[in-house]
Amino acid sequence: MNQRRQFIVSLTALSLCPWQSANATPSEAMQAMQAIVGKSPVNTGRVYFELPPLVESGNLVSIKFSVDSPMTPTSYVRAIHIISEANPSPNVVSCYFTPLSGKAEASTRIRLADSQRVWALAQMSDGSFWRTSVDTVVTLSACTEMV
Amino acid sequence: MSRSSRAVVTMPKTAKKGEVFSIRAIVQHDMESGFRHTEQGVRVPRDIIRSFICTYNGNEVFKADLHSGVGSNPLFIFYAKADQSGTFEFKWQGDNNYLTIVNQAITVS
Repeated sequence: MNQRRQFIVSLTALSLCPWQSANATPSEAMQAMQAIVGKSPVNTGRVYFELPPLVESGNLVSIKFSVDSPMTPTSYVRAIHIISEANPSPNVVSCYFTPLSGKAEASTRIRLADSQRVWALAQMSDGSFWRTSVDTVVTLSACTEMV
Repeated sequence: MSRSSRAVVTMPKTAKKGEVFSIRAIVQHDMESGFRHTEQGVRVPRDIIRSFICTYNGNEVFKADLHSGVGSNPLFIFYAKADQSGTFEFKWQGDNNYLTIVNQAITVS
C-alpha cells in the first residue's frame, strides 16, 4: 500500500476505536427512560435538579435533586433517576425514597464523559412521572484515559 | 470473605420526634468503570459499588442503585424523619463480593 492509502486506513481504524464510539446517544437515554416509565406519560417539571453549567473535571461532579412533596404514606416521591445522554451507560444513579425519608432530596457526585444534557426523572407514589433536564459543558471528560 | 473498606456516616446523635435531619454517608472505594481499556485494547473488568441501602429500625429510609456513572468514593447526602430511638444501618454492596455495613444509634426525644 502507498503511504496515502495507509494514512486513510489508519484514520478509519481510529474512528472505529471501541472506546470512542461506546458512549450513549440521546436516543439511548430516551430508551433508558422508556424502560423505567413503561407506557405512562411523562410530564415536564416539578423536579428540581442542580448541576453546574460548566464542569472543569467530569470525574467528580456534585449534583443535587429534589421534588417538593409532603412525603406522607399517601403522597410521596418513590424514586428519582438520573439519566445521561453521553456517558458510556445512560443510567447513572437511581435513588429510592420512602415516607420515612421526610424529604425527597439527595446529593451525590457523578461522572460525565462529555458535554451533554442530563435528565432527572421522578416517579411519584400515584404512578405519575415528572422530568427535568440540565445542559452542561464538560472541559475535561471522565472515562477517556487508558490504564 | 467479602471485601470491605472505610465508611463514614455523619448524622445527629439525638433528635426530636418528627424532625427531619440530614445524613451524609461516604465510603472509600476506588472504582473501575468497566469501560476503560489497556494499551493492548483489553477491557478492564468493572469494579463498582452497586447498591446503597439505609434502614431505620429495619425499615427502609433511602436506597440507591449505582451504575458506573457515579464517582469514586460514593457520597450520598439524604434525609430521614425521626420517629423513635433505635439504630440506622447503612449497607453498601458491590462487585467482587464487596460489602460494608455501618450502624449508628439515635436517641429520639
